[in-house]
Amino acid sequence: MKALVIDDSRTMRRIVSSVLTDLGYETVEAGDGQQALDALEVGDEFQLACIDWNMPVMDGLTFVTKVRENRAWRGITLMMVTTESEHGQIVRALAAGAHEYLIKPFTPDALRDKLELLGLLPVEEIA
Amino acid sequence: MIAGLVTVSREQILAITEDVFAAMIDGGSEVLVTERHEPVPAPVEPLCAWVDMTVAELGLGVRTIVRTERPAADQLTRALLMMDASEAVGQEDLVDAFGELANVVGGNVKSLLAAPAVLSLPSVAQTAPELPENQFLQDIALDWRGSVLVVSLWSLV
Repeated sequence: MKALVIDDSRTMRRIVSSVLTDLGYETVEAGDGQQALDALEVGDEFQLACIDWNMPVMDGLTFVTKVRENRAWRGITLMMVTTESEHGQIVRALAAGAHEYLIKPFTPDALRDKLELLGLLPVEEIA
Repeated sequence: MIAGLVTVSREQILAITEDVFAAMIDGGSEVLVTERHEPVPAPVEPLCAWVDMTVAELGLGVRTIVRTERPAADQLTRALLMMDASEAVGQEDLVDAFGELANVVGGNVKSLLAAPAVLSLPSVAQTAPELPENQFLQDIALDWRGSVLVVSLWSLV
């Protein structure tokens, strides 16, 4: 399974990618929403995108909106991974098309639990 | 006006910091960051990271600053980036990791404000831009693995 990890912080990309890799994912990293769109345009098939909210160039909410506008990308599960924890922001992200929401700071187990909820744990992890 | 917007207590800042350190830095449930009750020594080699939260319709803002010393920031960077204890920390990694720490702490402070606010991207420098004393809101000194961190909140008006 392949995941796109989108965060302007290299540190956070590494943390998220490390958890996903341990779970059996192949990961591709992007530093903002536009870089992530460019990665999708290449045509690689992703099952999951973990998306920060506040980023330069293109923020996470705009990225979610743009992905949802393209039918070719409707198979991608979108999970916000962000410090934006107010109820109103969560509602905005879900209304824009995000499937799940993980608030920073998070533990590896919290990310794993969200993926399990979404049915996105690689088979060997479920076993 | 700002007092109504910011009612963040020292206990709340401590709880946020404990959560951040337990989840991202120390791992597990062991709490290694604790409130410091002794005086804070003058920093020899300070490093500050900060984020601003702006409430546009009120023309108000709050700055969260995390301050420590370079050796502690190096240690934090190694922990966040899963580096070996002996590995040298580059400037780019230091700025990114320490900035992200302030971003997560500040982002959680933002959720406690009384009005929706917009969070800035983090900034990192030896010292934060000086603000007048009357804009000071709250601070807490913390001990972490023998190092001192100070988290402070300031109004931006």
